[in-house]
Amino acid sequence: MKIIAVTACPSGVAHTYMAAESLKVAAEESKVCESCFVETQGQIGIEDALSPTQIQAADVVILTNDIGIKNEERFKGKPVLRVHAGDLINKSPIIIEKLAQKLA
Amino acid sequence: MTEVLSSAIIDLNVSANNKDEVFSRLTTLLNRDGRLNDPDAYLQNVKDREALTTTGIGFGIAIPHGKTDAVNSVSVAIAKLQQPIDWDAMDGNPVDMVFQLVVPAASQGDAHLKLLAALSRQLIHADFRNEIKQATSTDEVIALIGNTINQTLEVSS
Repeated sequence: MKIIAVTACPSGVAHTYMAAESLKVAAEESKVCESCFVETQGQIGIEDALSPTQIQAADVVILTNDIGIKNEERFKGKPVLRVHAGDLINKSPIIIEKLAQKLA
Repeated sequence: MTEVLSSAIIDLNVSANNKDEVFSRLTTLLNRDGRLNDPDAYLQNVKDREALTTTGIGFGIAIPHGKTDAVNSVSVAIAKLQQPIDWDAMDGNPVDMVFQLVVPAASQGDAHLKLLAALSRQLIHADFRNEIKQATSTDEVIALIGNTINQTLEVSS
């Protein structure tokens, strides 16, 4: 499974980055995840912006839903899962597992 | 790093019964170190942010954060609690380490914000959390965070 994700949070200082890191760590440890690219939209600005190639190859898009995500139209036609940044921080392994089951 | 972290704003032996007592203690330290221009407004901002959603991110760690003009410079104030306290944390566990991120309202694109982002990322890693929790001196905490964050910034840039 190829995952792409965009994380953001109201203040853009901490949860954005914790959620991104947590998802990446869980993806690395997961047997079902082939690749995982995470773009952060924090107060610093957009970092690790997803490339068109990464988007095209992705099986699923994870977006945090704490505040609006910029440039969401890029993901048109892709399966999108919306979760709280806090859920990614605490439950990324479970989220990846459930996604893999759904997409199988 | 010295600008963001300093021994003056780290207390590894905080006695507190609730969130508000932790906020008060860290506000006092920040104010004494000249990092606030309006301590009352700052404290209120942190409490207001906390009221929106809990900053107890799990793993016994909380990351309260205020973003306000009452702050002079980007800082990280750290409290290690003598006794874990309830923080309405996302995983339900009590909190014994508090990293309070202190951010001026107007600091977009600031390099210091990248340090806060890097610290936030590091807190996801259990090894880093354990090392920090076991640190017994403020110098040790500063060195741990400084080393890790510098590495992270080098890798990611």
